[in-house]
Amino acid sequence: MAIEFPEFIVPFLPWIRGIVGLSLVGAIFLGAMGAVWIERKLSADIQSRMGPCRVGKYGLLQLVADAIKLFTKEDLKPRNADSLLFNNATIFMMSSIFLMLVAIPVGAVFINGVEYPLAVTEMDISVLYIEAMSAITIFGIFMVAYGSNNKYSLLGAFRNFARMVGYEVPLGITVVSVAVMTGSLNIVEISQAQGMLWNIFLQPVGCFVFFVALMADMGRLPFDQNESEEELIAGWITEYCGMRFGLAFFAEYIHMILGSFLVTLLFLGGWNVPAFVSNNPILGLIAPTGFLLIKVVFVLMVIIGMRWAVPRFRIDQVVDLSWKRLFPLALLNLVWAVGLGLYLGA
Amino acid sequence: MEEQLESNEMIIHLGPQHPMQPGPFRLNLRLKGETVMGAEIELGFIHKGIEKILENKTYLQGITIVDRICYLVALTNEECFVGCAEKLLGIEPPARAQYIRVILEELTRLQSHLLGMGEFGEFIGFVSMFMYTIREREEILGLIDMVTGARVTHSYLKFGGVRDDLPAGFKEKAIPVLNKLKKAVNDFEEMFHTDRIYRERTVGVGVLTADVAKSLGVSGPALRATGVPFDIRKNEPYLVYKDLDFKVCTETAGDCFARVQVRINEIRESIYILEQCLDQLPGGPLFPEGTPYGRRTPVMRVPAGEVFHRVEDPRGEMGMYMISDGSDKPYRVKVRGPYYPTLQALPPLIIGTTVADVAAISGSMDGCTSEADR
Repeated sequence: MAIEFPEFIVPFLPWIRGIVGLSLVGAIFLGAMGAVWIERKLSADIQSRMGPCRVGKYGLLQLVADAIKLFTKEDLKPRNADSLLFNNATIFMMSSIFLMLVAIPVGAVFINGVEYPLAVTEMDISVLYIEAMSAITIFGIFMVAYGSNNKYSLLGAFRNFARMVGYEVPLGITVVSVAVMTGSLNIVEISQAQGMLWNIFLQPVGCFVFFVALMADMGRLPFDQNESEEELIAGWITEYCGMRFGLAFFAEYIHMILGSFLVTLLFLGGWNVPAFVSNNPILGLIAPTGFLLIKVVFVLMVIIGMRWAVPRFRIDQVVDLSWKRLFPLALLNLVWAVGLGLYLGA
Repeated sequence: MEEQLESNEMIIHLGPQHPMQPGPFRLNLRLKGETVMGAEIELGFIHKGIEKILENKTYLQGITIVDRICYLVALTNEECFVGCAEKLLGIEPPARAQYIRVILEELTRLQSHLLGMGEFGEFIGFVSMFMYTIREREEILGLIDMVTGARVTHSYLKFGGVRDDLPAGFKEKAIPVLNKLKKAVNDFEEMFHTDRIYRERTVGVGVLTADVAKSLGVSGPALRATGVPFDIRKNEPYLVYKDLDFKVCTETAGDCFARVQVRINEIRESIYILEQCLDQLPGGPLFPEGTPYGRRTPVMRVPAGEVFHRVEDPRGEMGMYMISDGSDKPYRVKVRGPYYPTLQALPPLIIGTTVADVAAISGSMDGCTSEADR
């Protein structure tokens, strides 16, 4: 489904896309900083601490101070490290994450009752594309681990692979169930189709499996075996320092934000607002995006809060959980979704 | 270890600097993937020569040195050292001093167990647990600080008594802290019993059997978790423990879960002991009357002889063998700490498990390498 743009805008479309894309890159970095701040404050609250409160109001500038520190640190490389892999891994990870970003609509504006999703590109198979790009980031992790010539890193990367093989399967199947039910692989259409009823109510099991698999995919506790500090120092990232570490750190948080967007768009109703709001000339500009972002921040806080509330699984338990619990659940959900799709389509 | 290396195996050194460790020691693991095929412990990175230093210090100076064996349990170390000297001198502290000592040693046990539980939570990836226990521990340290004037190395015990009396209002301060701790411990226990991931990480992990534990000389919560009701406070009572009502906490499973459970129950028993002591605290002097021993003991000569005294440290059996030649310095002091034998139980337990379990098992032992090396 192509979006109908007014005649006079069409020649400027590439420019508009470029501007949207660039501001998205900036916004997502700001968003990642916000996520780090939320993580620090939320974890402090859970653990009855204060959290950052000295640098800037409510510690808001703490991350700026951290960034300055990371930029000014010496860029160390271990002896016998594989330069090609070691130097380029963060670039690879960042690129794959930004490639993921181009297909994700981060909101929508309603002008004269016509809906324009805020996405850099629109493609008919965007869900598939996002999944593929999300799965590729794992190779960045293995590049770091293999390149840094460190046994802890290698163990971390092994764990990462074992986990990814387990969790991409239920993750993919739940996405397929949503696509089958909606009848589209376009994430914009999936989001628009939830105007009446969110997918979480139609496929609660699917939402649960997707969320758990996504947590594992992003490497958040209880699934952060690849960098469990107490066993593997810092896992795959042990030998990274300075801005290399900073970029890997940012990549993790951006991945988390994009994951929250995916959950919201696929299961929590996306940017859909009642018609009387979207038809309002002023509210139509901000309300859908605002509603989406509120839900994204909520999902983000759930993901962050989980980290401080539960212990970590062992890697064999993680793989066990994936193949013995989540995989059958995802298959059941697929059957359910197909039936639901046939029923709703009929 | 390198000679035994097969293909697909690698050796990884955990330590001497590693987040998992309670102090610097080296754990060499032979790994096949994630599975531990062999393990070796190297100690001695933090050897301080405490026993030799004690030979060159007078008895009074020795008290400050035994504090440094492990700062966390300084008061029980002092109790052991002072107890040895008191046996040789043939004196016994008056009742009030004994009660005050029991109060402080039980407070030491409380804060040590709290820290141990928190660290264990951190080792299995539950970082918030550390913050929760540290919060409670701060108040216990505040109570100890109120009496001794220090949070870690106290030098509080003296031969025949204690340095200072309990400050005014100590009981009124202590009771609310203990009541709060009781609630907190119930919360911890509920958390441990209901959290699925916690149970999966601890139940059946690192099972120590009673026979192995006994043959290696393991003591303390690690031994009691195997079902052996051995507690020096009961088996060989010192101070006024024989007059106090408390039970020896045991579990039968011998795994990580049981070891933490024993600590939780012991915290409850310690609170009970503290409440009894605060109620029954008798009046009277702090030092035996009619003897030269007091707050400012002059240069002191200890009659020649040999003596062994042991106390129940939060981590197990702390014993000292002291030989005196009649001078003002001990001729020889041999320290038998609880963590060295416990550490020897680590390699057999971790072989066959995974790297993640190494942290869990090592953490559940709640050790102090500083005390193992001395």
